[in-house]
Order: sequence, then C-alpha cells, then structure tokens
Amino acid sequence: MKIHEKILTHYLSCTSPVDKEGYLYKKKVRTSSYQRRWFVLKANLLFYQERPADRHLLGVIVLEGCAIQHCESDGGLFVFSVVFRGSGLKTYRLAAEDQLGQDCWVKSLLTASHCYLSLLVRDLGKQYEEAKCQAGLGESNRYSPAIGQSSEGRTQSMVSLNPCSSTFFMPEPVRTERGNHRTNHVLQAPPMPSKVTNKRSPKLWSKRNAHVTPINGPVSTYGEWPQVDIDPLEDFTKLHEYYGEEVKQLKSDWLKRRQEKDKHFEVDLIDLSEN
Amino acid sequence: MRFNEKELISLSRQPSECIAELGMRGPKKGDVVKRRLVKLVVNFLFYFRTDEEEPQGVLLLEQCRVEREDSQVFSIAFLDEAERKYLFECDSQEQCQEWVDSIIKASYEFMRKNLIFYRTEIHRLTGKDPLEQYGIEDETRFQVTCGPQPAHKDS
Repeated sequence: MKIHEKILTHYLSCTSPVDKEGYLYKKKVRTSSYQRRWFVLKANLLFYQERPADRHLLGVIVLEGCAIQHCESDGGLFVFSVVFRGSGLKTYRLAAEDQLGQDCWVKSLLTASHCYLSLLVRDLGKQYEEAKCQAGLGESNRYSPAIGQSSEGRTQSMVSLNPCSSTFFMPEPVRTERGNHRTNHVLQAPPMPSKVTNKRSPKLWSKRNAHVTPINGPVSTYGEWPQVDIDPLEDFTKLHEYYGEEVKQLKSDWLKRRQEKDKHFEVDLIDLSEN
Repeated sequence: MRFNEKELISLSRQPSECIAELGMRGPKKGDVVKRRLVKLVVNFLFYFRTDEEEPQGVLLLEQCRVEREDSQVFSIAFLDEAERKYLFECDSQEQCQEWVDSIIKASYEFMRKNLIFYRTEIHRLTGKDPLEQYGIEDETRFQVTCGPQPAHKDS
C-alpha cells in the first residue's frame, strides 16, 4: 500500500503545532535492544528519527486503534507500549529515562487519536450549546458553527475521555454512531396503559430511518414485554427501565446491522467491477 | 520511511459513512482517470482498486486544500502546490458536496480549531475550563494560543 511519504513529511515540517517531542528509547523487535530516537508527536502521528536535526525520517506510527499501557521497568528505563488491537498487529515498546517522562508521554499518546479528539469535540459542542442556553442567548441553535453534527447522549463518552482512569478505553470511530440520536426521542413518558402485561412499547417501531433499515432481510420483531407484577402507575422508574432495555436492544441491533451492512456493501462493490 | 502498514490496512477496514466508487486522477501530467473505491476513515483517504481488499494507497488529509472544480468534480491539493491536484469525479452534485464537506471536517487540524473555539467560549460563558474535568487542560495540543507554538521539549 502506497503511503505518499511526501505528504506526511510535509505535514511534519509545516508550521502547525507540534504536540510533543523528545528522546525516547524504542525496542528493536529482533534484538530486544533499545535504540535512542527523537520522537515527534503531531496530531495522531508519531514520527521518529535519529536526531532532532536529521532530515531523514526513519518512520511514523499512526496512532489509531491502539491502547497505551504502562509496563514494568526494564534496565532502569521506564517502559510503556503502544498496543494495536487485532490479530497479527504490532506492539511498539517505548521507554523514557524517568517516571515523569513516561507519564507525560503516556498521557499525550492517550489523547492523540482522531477518535478521541472527535469525541471530545462533540462533548464540548454539547456543553457549549448548554452554556449558551443558560447564558440566556435566546433559542439555542442545534448546530455548532463549524461542525453541524447532531448532539448525542454524553454519559457514555464522558467516562472514556479521562486518560487518568486506569481502564482508559479507545472508542470505535464515532461515525458509526451518528444515527443513534434517532432513538433518543423514544425516552419520553409513554401513555400509561391500564394493564402492563405482554404489551409491546406503544411506539411505532415499524417506522424506520433509512440509515437503520438493512439492505436485505426483514425488519426484526421485538419480544413481548415481561410480565410486570407491580402497578406501573405507582412505580414509573421500573417502567422506565423496561423501556430502557428495549432501547438498548434496539441500539445494539442497529450497530450490528450497521457493521454487517458496511461489510455487505463493500463486497457488493467489489463484485460489480466486471465493467 | 517505515510505517505501521498492517495497522493502517486494519484501519481502512473500519466502517465509514464516506465510501464510494469515484473517478480518481493523480496530480501528474499524463495521469488518467481510474475508477477507485474511495473511503474516508478518520483523517485518511484510502483508495482501492475495485477488485482488491487491500488499499492501493492512502492520503493524509492534513495541510491540504479541498475545492469544488466543477459541478461533480472536487480536487485535493497537497504540499502547497496548488497546481498539483488529485481529482475526484462524482456521480452527482450532492455527492460531490458531501465529499468536500466530509473531507474538510475530517482534518485533525480542523477539529483542533473547533475544540479551541469551544474551550474558549465555554470558559467565557461559564468561567470554567471544560477540559479540567478530564484532567487534560495542560496538554499542549489543546492550548488556546494562536499560531505556531514553541515546541514542548523534553530533556
């Protein structure tokens, strides 16, 4: 696969800000020895060369789909690794000379991915809209000035944004989640049925968004509601939980179908290449 | 120059909403239009020959200029060389505009600018720095100063 090196080296040398640079040790796979290299982190790219002034770039590591992990010290060096998830994919072992260096680099690398930044921008976009509302600037404009993405529930993303938590989680590319906002409107208070037994949600599930409907295959039906022993008029929270389960199921079904649809879609295009 | 090729190829398989067969032409004189499956994943534009699983190539979408050339054609220029453009032929005006918008918004630098805007505005409106809750307020990449910054160096 051709990577168009010139574009990468141009990006490295242009005037956009460098996010971090410094010496680190990089472990050679074959010899298990560490080599000192000058690393430059810019956006989601980690470049390395022998010395800062070198024109010749030794290599670049694209930081998407990877986890950053602290490792045990090795020969006085403070080791951490860049672990790519997936069978047959690499783990890079890097090391700093001291604890502070290790911590700084780990933190910078954790916040380097495009996915992370994308989540963060979405989250801040929501906070901005809320702040504008509260500041009483009139009718809130749902679209950010630059992005125009619809807003989405924050709770999930907030947990994963803090790189200080030990179980830092690198999210999947956020584009696949764009359709989720469609399910949010379901969580309004439903009309209270007099008897809640074996009844499906009163919402019209047969109406589907074009993004959600699979290309082939029927729309899946939903199971009946579990028998509720309590009077829902007395305990709305339980009812809310049951509706919540349905929404969760919807969401995971949608995500599954979306992933299948993407695979399916790609295969079709390749098959049509006969002209 | 070495790069993590397998990992990039794995990235090219991630789901994307911006994927289509387009007519693609390279920047050199004598390059002709070829049908390629073009796929936008984060800030990379992958392109595949239509019968292959592995991408033929990948373009980093940073420091580039994306322009409408025609009702159905857009271009991407790199390296400050305005005349050397990659051309992409779409099937409709709508598709062409979607691609232009998506590519612009996909750039890391574009997202960084938005982040800085939100950070500044939220701070102005609420008196609080929204990055503090995530413990990332000191990260160089999120700093509010404009223009090229002095590099954050280690010893």
